Amino acid sequence: MISQVHTVEEVLEGIQHAKAKATDFRTNFFPVQARIQAWVSHGELWRAARESATFFLRKDRDFWHFYFCAASPMALEREAATVAELKTERVVTDLVGRESELSDPVASLQSVGFREYARLRRLVRAGRAGESPFATGDVLADWAEESDCASLLRLIESAFDPYAEQLPTLYEVEAAVRQQQVLVVKYNREVAGSLFFETQGFASTVRFWVVAEEYRALRVGSALMSAYFKSQNTVRRFTLWVNACNTNAIQKYGHYGYAPDGLVDHVLANQTIP
Amino acid sequence: MKSVAEILKEIRPEFDFTNSTDFLADGLLDSFDMMVLVSALDKNYGISIPGTDIVPENFQNLQTIETLLCKNGARL
Repeated sequence: MISQVHTVEEVLEGIQHAKAKATDFRTNFFPVQARIQAWVSHGELWRAARESATFFLRKDRDFWHFYFCAASPMALEREAATVAELKTERVVTDLVGRESELSDPVASLQSVGFREYARLRRLVRAGRAGESPFATGDVLADWAEESDCASLLRLIESAFDPYAEQLPTLYEVEAAVRQQQVLVVKYNREVAGSLFFETQGFASTVRFWVVAEEYRALRVGSALMSAYFKSQNTVRRFTLWVNACNTNAIQKYGHYGYAPDGLVDHVLANQTIP
Repeated sequence: MKSVAEILKEIRPEFDFTNSTDFLADGLLDSFDMMVLVSALDKNYGISIPGTDIVPENFQNLQTIETLLCKNGARL
């Protein structure tokens, strides 16, 4: 049985419930408070409290993201097995860390019915003083506008896997557009490509860099990346996550100076996801 | 025993934490780093920082982290 989370305090208490009994605390729950608040406000976050663990489930489209806070790996295996939704609903979960640290937690989650679904790698790039723009020809990128939000979301959903890549909701896209964290290139008022990012102080993360199929090979992608670096010229650390199988994207990011830093994200899916 | 500054330097060697008064607002730590930091502080000082204390205001700068550690019984 799961219950809806109504306050951020319930989340913190849930973490503490497991941590107070911890002999070898384990968690894959790392959201910033603003994000927890958004999930709570939109009724997306649910929890299941157990003896030595608290589990959180976040509704996303037609499936759930699963997060755990457990007193030990044994508590995780024993008590996750009692969460009925892991057997009846579409559920994915993420394990982030160094590859060498993840084999045990992956095995724990496999024991409760998850299987390896995808693997993401984190790429990092140092900020450079006085970024010089990459050549982009005549293509110009500009900030997305409120009227672009629905088509932006459609473009992202058409290009990325919702189970593996943490796609935004419409309200997240709208908030990012308001904060000038989405760049677009348009042709005839149509969004041809977009770069969606999050900047916090001296750190910035590219969440989605996408060019619609019919506009590829027109330097749309490089115009977006050039505008991004130019607009974020006080950033000292650029990061992003990319599907490890997407060698084409990894090569393109490499061209812009991104390189793996050794952190990986194992995305696991339960048996109800094909 | 390592100091808080040394632990932070291990997590994010590229940043100078001594010049920031708000690590999270300045982007020096992300949410994953926060949990790595909590785990490292727990181990280093032999304490268990309560889940209810894992809030941004306790991780703003070296001083707030040290206050948090003292509150939870760490000997700095």
